[in-house]
Amino acid sequence: MEKNKGKRKKYVAHNQKCAYLFLLPSMFILSVFVFVPLIASFVISITNMNIFMKDVSFAGLKNFIQLFKDSRVSNATFNSLYFTLLEVPLQIGLALLMTVCLAKNNRYCKLLRSIYYLPFVCSMTAIGIVWSMLLDPNMGLFAYWLKQAGFDTIAFLKDPKWAMPTVIAVTAWKGFGYTLTLMAAAVLNIPQSLYEAADMDGAGGFQKFIHITIPGIWSTISFCIVTSTIGAMQMFDQAYVMTQGGPLNKTETVVQYIYDRGFQTAPYNLGYASAISVYLFVIVAVMTLVLRKFVLNRGEGADE
Amino acid sequence: MKKKIVSTLLCAAICLASLAGCGGGAQGGQDTASNAPAGTSVETADGQTETAADQAASGEKITLEFWNVFTGSDGDILRQIVDNYNSINTDNIEIQMDIMPNDQLQQKLPAAIATGTAPDIVLFGVENLAPYVSNDSLEDISDFWEVTGVDKSNILDNVLELSHVNGKLYGTPMQYNVTYLYWNKDLFRDAGLDPEKAPETLDELAEYAEKLTDPSKNQFGLALPTNVTYMQFLWANGGDADDPETNRNLLDSKENLKTLEWLQDLTVNKKVSPSSITGPEADTMLQAGQIGMYMSGPWQINGLRTQGIDFGIAPCVAGSAGAFSPAGGCSYVIPKGVDEEHRLAAYKFMQYWLTDDILKEWSQKNGFPVWSKTLMEDSEIQNDEVLNSISKATEIGRPYNLGYSLASQIDKDVMIPLFETVMTGAATPEEALKKASQAMDGVLAQ
Repeated sequence: MEKNKGKRKKYVAHNQKCAYLFLLPSMFILSVFVFVPLIASFVISITNMNIFMKDVSFAGLKNFIQLFKDSRVSNATFNSLYFTLLEVPLQIGLALLMTVCLAKNNRYCKLLRSIYYLPFVCSMTAIGIVWSMLLDPNMGLFAYWLKQAGFDTIAFLKDPKWAMPTVIAVTAWKGFGYTLTLMAAAVLNIPQSLYEAADMDGAGGFQKFIHITIPGIWSTISFCIVTSTIGAMQMFDQAYVMTQGGPLNKTETVVQYIYDRGFQTAPYNLGYASAISVYLFVIVAVMTLVLRKFVLNRGEGADE
Repeated sequence: MKKKIVSTLLCAAICLASLAGCGGGAQGGQDTASNAPAGTSVETADGQTETAADQAASGEKITLEFWNVFTGSDGDILRQIVDNYNSINTDNIEIQMDIMPNDQLQQKLPAAIATGTAPDIVLFGVENLAPYVSNDSLEDISDFWEVTGVDKSNILDNVLELSHVNGKLYGTPMQYNVTYLYWNKDLFRDAGLDPEKAPETLDELAEYAEKLTDPSKNQFGLALPTNVTYMQFLWANGGDADDPETNRNLLDSKENLKTLEWLQDLTVNKKVSPSSITGPEADTMLQAGQIGMYMSGPWQINGLRTQGIDFGIAPCVAGSAGAFSPAGGCSYVIPKGVDEEHRLAAYKFMQYWLTDDILKEWSQKNGFPVWSKTLMEDSEIQNDEVLNSISKATEIGRPYNLGYSLASQIDKDVMIPLFETVMTGAATPEEALKKASQAMDGVLAQ
């Protein structure tokens, strides 16, 4: 018995060594592009450092104290949260709604799914430029249509009230095709027998949706929620291309402010920009933790 | 629990990774950009060894890497001049030019200087000099006049001054500009205004702007982009933003309040400007003939000529304290760490630029004011209508925070938000000014 156990241990140990070998390439890439920059930004955040790398000195918590006094940081945090809290439900909800109609493998549904997936493949920069041209209040097509229809033109991306909702709408429009594809695949994987059983029990369409479809694809939905939340908290391209953070900083997100402080505004304070990155890291980490607890794996209990 | 913490950390790491990926992507792009000239210089090095015998007599070829931010149509003219220099110069100097947007240059250059891979010549706005000098990243070229024998007394003092920081020369002037008032003569005619007479005071400007605005034709009297500052208005009434010499905040004044009230009335009540436009959008609308008046630099001239707009150029309008216009310009600078040989070669090109022929070509083709005293006597220059009206407008140039290392932060954190708040009507001028003044205190305290 004892002997046998030892043998097994050896076998496992050998197997593990092999596993490390397989892990090596991705570990290398991860450490160069993730762990080293991650640790570096923690270190830079407690120094006085600008982009010229001259006169680097230890700053302690100075950058973090400055951060909590900076109204542009709180404004950017608000904008990021505003964006996330609206964009994620909108994108997921829209995808879920479409899934109900399009989770069939006929030619028509496949075509529509591909069409909705198209914007996701395009670059955000190109999409941003095209939308800002369409929505321009002076030269845009939408303004022209509104005018023809007898309405006042809305300066979608220029009006402090409308800018963020517009950015949210464009982002949801671009992203929901991807979510839709994932969800449709998950729905198609639900055993048909469940629906047949529900039919026999006399369940209606809505009931089937709530009691079979949603639980059946919950793991996919929760995956989408977590990934799009993390993505939304790091929103940058859209606002950078369409509004440059304006009007009145109403669309300036945390990442954009980091970029502005580090690379756009002299004296290019990398220490301070890194401190804001660490602050964002903490926010995202907390949000992920909360989401894991309440969203991910709910109703499955497979993990742990 | 442990598993949870690890996975949370991993998730967060992934999120930061994509952040890093973002920056990495941009940097990747830059790498290819900077690799290109590096690659070509290797080729020339190869070519050199092949023809080493021929070259031995005339000395070794010197390749100068030259970065600038001239992404507009003026960049094409600059390229022609540089190409021409490459073919005619007798010192065996070859300049390899790399044009990039200002944002990108500002990201690349400090890192390049820190790692000793900087280009030999950089051409950028004089507002950049101070931050680079305070980080010891530019070569002091005070010996330029002595080495090259260029007569510095031939250059206007106010232009020369822009290339100095703390009394030392860090660049040689390339161009000088102030903000002008452009007006569309056709629209003036349609509105019943004298097409040959531009407004001269703040009140006239407001009056004209109102007359020129016609929402039914999507036509606006005066375009006021919200991503820039309007020092000319504050100065006109005797106000100011800050005093770079003493680090003093000058925002909270009666004069400024009066100007801002006037500005808010113009944009919010009279709606003479398209709301919340950016500079480039205003440029487009001006060229499309939708804008009656617009304040901008000389770079508008080429676009207006191409679009066939009948336009005039006048000095910025006066207020109770007179008329002023923010001055700026571009200078050739040499980054820190460039060796003696390349530095002297760079001097030669700078010297070439300062010859009257080149300055004349640049001014005539781009509509930039002339600041070489001998060139001002030139009959062709004196008879050039555009250059004439410009030289009048240039007289009222006034530097704004040039040579001040906090300048860019003051603009971004204080002045642009102040003007934007006032012009969009997001707050009363009084509140906006109070808030801006607090923000200014915060910036100046650094």
